[in-house]
Amino acid sequence: MNEFCGQPTTGASVLRMTGIVKTFGGARALDGAALEVGRGSVHGLVGQNGAGKSTLIKILAGLHQPDEGIIEICGTPQDRLTPKLAEALGIHFIHQDRLLPPSFSVGEALFLGDEPVYGGLQLLNRSGMRREAARLLKSYFDLELPDGALIADLTTAEKQIIQITRALIRKPKILVFDEPTAALVRREADILFGLIRRLAGEGVTILYISHYLREIEEICDAVTVLRNGRDVATLSLSDTSAAEIGQLMVAREAGDLFPPRHSAIGTDYLRVRDLALDRKFEPLSFTLRRGEILGLTGLLGSGAKDLMRVLFGLEAATSGEIVIGERKLRFDTPRQAARARIALVPEDRRRHGVALEMTVQENTTLANLGRFLRFGRLDPRAEENATQELIRKLQIKTSGPRALVRSLSGGNQQKVAIAKWLGRDTELYLLDEPTVGVDIGAKAEIYSLIADLAAQGAGIILLSSDLDELIGLADRVLVMFRGRITCELLSSHTTATEILAEATGAPERSRHVG
Amino acid sequence: MSYRAISENLMALGARSALLAALVIVFSTFALTAPSFLTTGNLQSLLVNNFTLLAVVAVAMTFAVASGGIDLSVGAAIDFASFAFVSLVLAGNPVWLALFAGLGAGALVGLFNALLISGVGLSPFLATLGTLFVGRSIQQLLTNGGNPIYLPQSGIPESFRALGHSTIVGIPLSLLAALALAAVAAFLLGQTRFGRVVIASGVQPDVVRYSGLPLRLYLGGAYILVGLTAAFAGLILTSTVTVYIPNSGNAFLLNAIGAAFIGTTIHPHGRPNVFGTILGVLLLAIVSNGLLLSGLNFYWQQVGTGVLIFLVLALSFATRKTQRG
Amino acid sequence: MSVDAQNYAFVKRRRPKPSAKGRTRLAAAALRYCALLTFLAILVIFSTSAPFFLSIFNIGNILGQTAVTGVLAIGLTVVVIAGGPNVVTGGIDLSLAANMGLSAAVYASLLQMGYGDGSAALSALGTGLIIGAVNALAVAQIGIVPLLATLAVMNVVAGLELVLTENTVIPASSDLLTGLSSGALFGIPSLGYVLIGFSLVMGLIIQNTRFGLRLYAVGEFPEAARAAGIPVKAYVSASFLISGFCGGIAGILNTAYLSGSSTGSGEMLLPVVVTALLGSVFSRRLVPTIGGTLLSALFVGVLLNGFQLLNLSSTLVSGVQGVLILLTVSATTLIRRES
Repeated sequence: MNEFCGQPTTGASVLRMTGIVKTFGGARALDGAALEVGRGSVHGLVGQNGAGKSTLIKILAGLHQPDEGIIEICGTPQDRLTPKLAEALGIHFIHQDRLLPPSFSVGEALFLGDEPVYGGLQLLNRSGMRREAARLLKSYFDLELPDGALIADLTTAEKQIIQITRALIRKPKILVFDEPTAALVRREADILFGLIRRLAGEGVTILYISHYLREIEEICDAVTVLRNGRDVATLSLSDTSAAEIGQLMVAREAGDLFPPRHSAIGTDYLRVRDLALDRKFEPLSFTLRRGEILGLTGLLGSGAKDLMRVLFGLEAATSGEIVIGERKLRFDTPRQAARARIALVPEDRRRHGVALEMTVQENTTLANLGRFLRFGRLDPRAEENATQELIRKLQIKTSGPRALVRSLSGGNQQKVAIAKWLGRDTELYLLDEPTVGVDIGAKAEIYSLIADLAAQGAGIILLSSDLDELIGLADRVLVMFRGRITCELLSSHTTATEILAEATGAPERSRHVG
Repeated sequence: MSYRAISENLMALGARSALLAALVIVFSTFALTAPSFLTTGNLQSLLVNNFTLLAVVAVAMTFAVASGGIDLSVGAAIDFASFAFVSLVLAGNPVWLALFAGLGAGALVGLFNALLISGVGLSPFLATLGTLFVGRSIQQLLTNGGNPIYLPQSGIPESFRALGHSTIVGIPLSLLAALALAAVAAFLLGQTRFGRVVIASGVQPDVVRYSGLPLRLYLGGAYILVGLTAAFAGLILTSTVTVYIPNSGNAFLLNAIGAAFIGTTIHPHGRPNVFGTILGVLLLAIVSNGLLLSGLNFYWQQVGTGVLIFLVLALSFATRKTQRG
Repeated sequence: MSVDAQNYAFVKRRRPKPSAKGRTRLAAAALRYCALLTFLAILVIFSTSAPFFLSIFNIGNILGQTAVTGVLAIGLTVVVIAGGPNVVTGGIDLSLAANMGLSAAVYASLLQMGYGDGSAALSALGTGLIIGAVNALAVAQIGIVPLLATLAVMNVVAGLELVLTENTVIPASSDLLTGLSSGALFGIPSLGYVLIGFSLVMGLIIQNTRFGLRLYAVGEFPEAARAAGIPVKAYVSASFLISGFCGGIAGILNTAYLSGSSTGSGEMLLPVVVTALLGSVFSRRLVPTIGGTLLSALFVGVLLNGFQLLNLSSTLVSGVQGVLILLTVSATTLIRRES
């Protein structure tokens, strides 16, 4: 049926990427990665955040050009892949961003770009679109949507189905799924897997990227593990298990990345009691002590991110309380949280953490302007001195306080995002993925900074999907899964593999150590 | 430094100097071609008639643009200030009270905008558009269909007439007032915490919120300030012409917007700034005055000003794009 | 929402709430019905209090009077559709009213100079197109934000209009004009038919063709449009060309209506903008549509006409428009915030 590649037999490789190198700023996202996928196979791609998965996929999609390396589709090297070329070659992506206009109807969204029309005026064949859309959804997904449903009305799962159907209409040769089941229920995931198997049987090659190792086990024929920008293993699923894959993902790299932890942990500082956010996480409780670094981790949809947002007032909790010292507090806005001496270093550095088009000085003083006021006037010299001090202390590589933050590397931008909160008597630091997209040198410096802050008595909650980071830095780690804290682990007594297993929903055993 | 860096810097410098270059070119062109351009009498007239009022309104607009929005209702603030002032004077109140009322009226317009933008969350364009409309209608109602209200020639206290007509060391008081206002505004925007946060809101509002600052309060404050500043223009205008003409404030709107955006070209990071706005107003003033003197058909003047604004904008946006790369 | 409610059946909720999406849809529908009801209510009020309101003659009157605003508002709607909801960086064309003025001036001048209807009309349309092309160049090629670009162009065009007219009215008469201004069929003036015909054609193109669908995609979600292989810049340029053309048409219509060029064309800008923006409240999806804009224009036309018949000051109408726009936009914003 599928004469793609002109080879009738399955097993011949339809996609081969070799020696891919890609550098962003100072950081090497990919360091000679390779990926080879056999035709008609379901090939998994796994790796921790920062291992290079999304960069590799973006290169395949033509969104980035590799600095070095070869990409071959059916044995033909592709010089400059562009999104259009990739699509022409039959490579389709089901990304996590749902690229569907909210006010469009299901039919319109499905056929955008390829609309069925008639007549010289190219009148839309609306009834045809509607009928065909309904037919496709029913046949592929057994899904029936109400007539006239708009994209804005759909659930995330349904939107994803629309996206997949969009790709299916174009008879893809290679279909790339990026974290497809993060927002699906079991039943929908089963339907997806059935579809994937069907497509693979018809000769479509599937590239499946996921954190859920059990699913990789269930659906894939082979899997490639990425670590630190390189592929460390490509295995056939019959020869391996989820556990082994997990282990390959997290092997510790050499070097003293993490500063020694002198636990000067003090008294209880933050008490969270039955805090809940409707539809994001159930009532949960935990305590944080001064000088303690509490790790927090969980997959997309686990509620960990939402917990951070609630603690900083970006969203108001629906029930429960936050107690600091003796006071019960409610955070409805970040301003209240900041007043309570809580700081947030957000995950989306470029949008929330720093203002790229403002100078280093303007960024670092933003949360603390009151300190530089002399008779109502901002004292520029005081600002500059303070900024220079921060630059020196955090070793921020920049041409000076007046440089635009845009000109800094990712790691240094992150340091600016953190620096903003220093000198403000911050007592609790919420760090959301603080080292994503940061090169190894800056990482070490940031870790050392975090340890210093803890040593000075601040409490730290570190949300990270980098398990090595959690074990290396945190004292305890809370793992969340689907809205609950499923376990609490002492970093000294656990392994990355164990954390990963808990985060991906290993059979629940409450292991409380200590 | 690499060639690329040098040429980038030159481009940036070029983009920034566009405004100054335009000023020089335009000034010298008129000085050479228009007969009476370079006389004190003319320059004075230029500054008073073409520059003063527009400068104040444009400075008001700068606050709005700096905060990342725009204020289409500045005309309403001007008009209401004028109306309040004239009404109170006619009713026999002391001048200082009438002045306060005028400023208050402008601030109220600003407050209305602030509530819509910060409270409800409307986009500044739409909110101020609505205010503009409502303001227009209210004025029609208040004046029974658009009749101007005159200040009686005899009853105007000297102090007030002074604002509009007297000079200090030969410089019109109104001009001095406008410049003083601009200086205060520049200070507010560039050297206070308020100004810093307003500018940050215009550059990246999310970061302001994530830094624990009450974004909405600052935005609202900016719009109140716009109304207040525009009210000043209304008062200066009324003191000069001694009459309140309904819906006359809108005439300044477009040039104020133009000047504020032209002014951004002089800032190293392309941000709205008071000094740049003033230069922008100066440019527009010189152009309209010069075109008038050169005997050019009055109507070609507007074309000239429009083309000029267009070119400066094009230059500014085009170079900004290449800088981003 | 990144997480599906169904996933978390086990998350105990305090009390069952209707889904947020359901509430949003309900609120949006309510808004739309409120708008329609208000329209109907006003029609009823006027028909009972003003004599002859519902007569064919008067309805024809309304249609005719609304023709110019309607055409302009529809042109603006196209730009808004393709440019997106953000009003500073999104789609807006402030030069439309001046466009109409200049096109009308060109038309009237050429007629006066002795040129025939054909060439004069073509020149008027051409003028509109050229202005549209300048806008397209400024926005799509140079990258000036639409608000500023069209503002600057408006200034220039208004100036050119003044040059041509010297701030006076240029009288004009020709067969076409007479046909447009005095012609009537079944009591409805030709201008009314023009409005209806024009709306039908534009509605067909924008709401029911591939071009129109892609225009919506470009404005609402340019990334998705790009991913679907649609050339965003080309569509944005096309939208300005269309609006420019509408300006030309409106110029001819206005000349017919006034039997000459006008001096107050600038006044029309804000009413047209408000009409176009209000239009989205009349559509099912709360997006700008040709039909919605037409309804919105007729709504204002009805108000004006009713006020005239009742001898009320027409200046109140702009106040009503202002309040309306604030109410509807506030409502839409609050609705969007909920979701």
